[in-house]
Amino acid sequence: MTTKKKRTPHSQNDRWVVVAADSAVETPKKDDSDPTFIRLRNPSTGNAASLYLLGSGDVQLYEVKAFKEDFHSWFIGQTVQRDGRLLYVTPMDPLYLLLPYLIKAGEEGKFQPVDQVVMDEDFPACTRLLSCTRSQTSLHHVAEEKEVGSQKFQRYSQERTMEWLKKKVHRTVKTLRKSNISVGEGVKSTTYVRVKQESETQEEDYLRYAHGLISEYISEDLSKALLKHLQLPELSSPKEVEPPSKKRKLTDKPLEAGEDYTKFNSSDFSRKPPKKMSAAQKTLAKVDKTGMKSMSAFFSPKGKAEKK
Amino acid sequence: MDLGEFEADNSVSCRLASAIPDVCKTEDCCLGIDEAGRGPVLGPMVYGICFCPVAKKEALKDLKVADSKTLTEAQREDLFRKLDEAKSFVGWALQILSPNTISTSMLQRSKYNLNALSHDAAIGLVQFALDSGVQLKEVFVDTVGPAEKYQEKLSQRFPGVEVTVRPKADSLFPIVSAASICAKVARDHSVKDWNFPEDLGEVDADYGSGYPNDPKTKAWLLKELDPVFGYPQFVRFSWSTTQTLLDSKAVTVHWDDDEEDGEKAAARQNNTSMLSYFKTGSKTSAQQGNTHQTHRFFTERRLQSLATL
Repeated sequence: MTTKKKRTPHSQNDRWVVVAADSAVETPKKDDSDPTFIRLRNPSTGNAASLYLLGSGDVQLYEVKAFKEDFHSWFIGQTVQRDGRLLYVTPMDPLYLLLPYLIKAGEEGKFQPVDQVVMDEDFPACTRLLSCTRSQTSLHHVAEEKEVGSQKFQRYSQERTMEWLKKKVHRTVKTLRKSNISVGEGVKSTTYVRVKQESETQEEDYLRYAHGLISEYISEDLSKALLKHLQLPELSSPKEVEPPSKKRKLTDKPLEAGEDYTKFNSSDFSRKPPKKMSAAQKTLAKVDKTGMKSMSAFFSPKGKAEKK
Repeated sequence: MDLGEFEADNSVSCRLASAIPDVCKTEDCCLGIDEAGRGPVLGPMVYGICFCPVAKKEALKDLKVADSKTLTEAQREDLFRKLDEAKSFVGWALQILSPNTISTSMLQRSKYNLNALSHDAAIGLVQFALDSGVQLKEVFVDTVGPAEKYQEKLSQRFPGVEVTVRPKADSLFPIVSAASICAKVARDHSVKDWNFPEDLGEVDADYGSGYPNDPKTKAWLLKELDPVFGYPQFVRFSWSTTQTLLDSKAVTVHWDDDEEDGEKAAARQNNTSMLSYFKTGSKTSAQQGNTHQTHRFFTERRLQSLATL
């Protein structure tokens, strides 16, 4: 009765269900450009591109996240939409996206005008980030600035960046507390009332959680540096240590137990001569075994067998 | 027969009953149970009970009630009228299980099969009679599934009542025949003028008997299929007839309790094969390729970044 159901690949959509801030979809004032989706280098993954949205006139940056779970579809008006995703367009600090470019330029140690720094062959749209209102005014959070004449020059500063990120973490902690988000290791039920109040030690949980969230927007190196700056010890997950191989080495010598305690208990310990082989065993031993695999070869991991 | 109460909302299960004759509250009574519309793909399944004082069994025979299947529709109508007129000593009650109830029961997450549904409808009706003050002593039932098991189930459920479960009970005991007539008449009425709650415009009313092997029913099912929604609630979705048609003609719909082939489902859910735990080396290399792990704030909320729209 049950037939196999085939999953056809998702066809191209020209419609999405989006939750967005009013400011993101505002109609442009004249001369301004429409809000546009752009692909930019994701600061945490480095090379992969993610989708962002620039509000009209490139004034505000938004990140695009999708709620996606299996087995969802939409009924929209009189139609069905197969794509059951719910997109969120939420405001984002453009500094996160500018930071990788500043860091890269900072390696030279020179003061440079920012529009010379923010350039990307793969993602030419990144220059548009500089038109965001927040970009120019907040560069001092992550860079030292010099003003020569009417022109500004910047140089990446790790200390400033750390302070800036630390502030971000603390603000995130505040928000996490306010929104009652469970940050502990264990799973908590909202309906379960605890007799004991949550203890103070939770502060570290909040800090770690917030650090993890901020790390979604910065490179791995920065994330590690930030962890140090927050004076949080790095959690060393117990590394999987391979248990010692239990395989016995094949030798021609007679086998002896690695630890034989009987040896020391009996005074008249004497090694027995190797057992005599039966007639059948003798004939078997005489068989030409060249080119034959040993029995154990069939049980060793495949990779090893192929190497031979 | 007034089916108004069911027709007001034919998506649910509905109980209709006659007034309880006064004699039934004082004298020992016998009760028959039978059902109509178990097999069809269209319309409701109706459970009927009929009860009368044990002493009046002969009077019931005089009404010449017989197995509803041997009677024409007109004869059944006639007999039901007579039964209804004999309200001084005969009472009846019906449980109409709408096709929608059948579909949703059988197709829900924890499956509730037709036999269980039938048994529970029968038990509900007997309980109803007891609650109404009918002095039940004997219950006769046409069987659903193995007779002994069913009899044991009912006997345990109703201690103090002698339960007899027999195949073909509707031709053996007049009180079961009477119940079968009530059930059949109710089913015929509800199917004849099915009130489609869906906004379908003009629906072709020529759907035949509703049994899966009826060519008229088959043709109707082919014609009325909607690629997205399938069928109106009149159709039992849990019937294999319906499912075959939906599988071949309608848009595929995936539910999260669909049974998929083990390996495929595992791959989709990103489960690791059991074998990978026994391998050395290769497991970690796959994970090392992608060091970035999305923070649990996002994974717990099923939020992900998008590369493209």
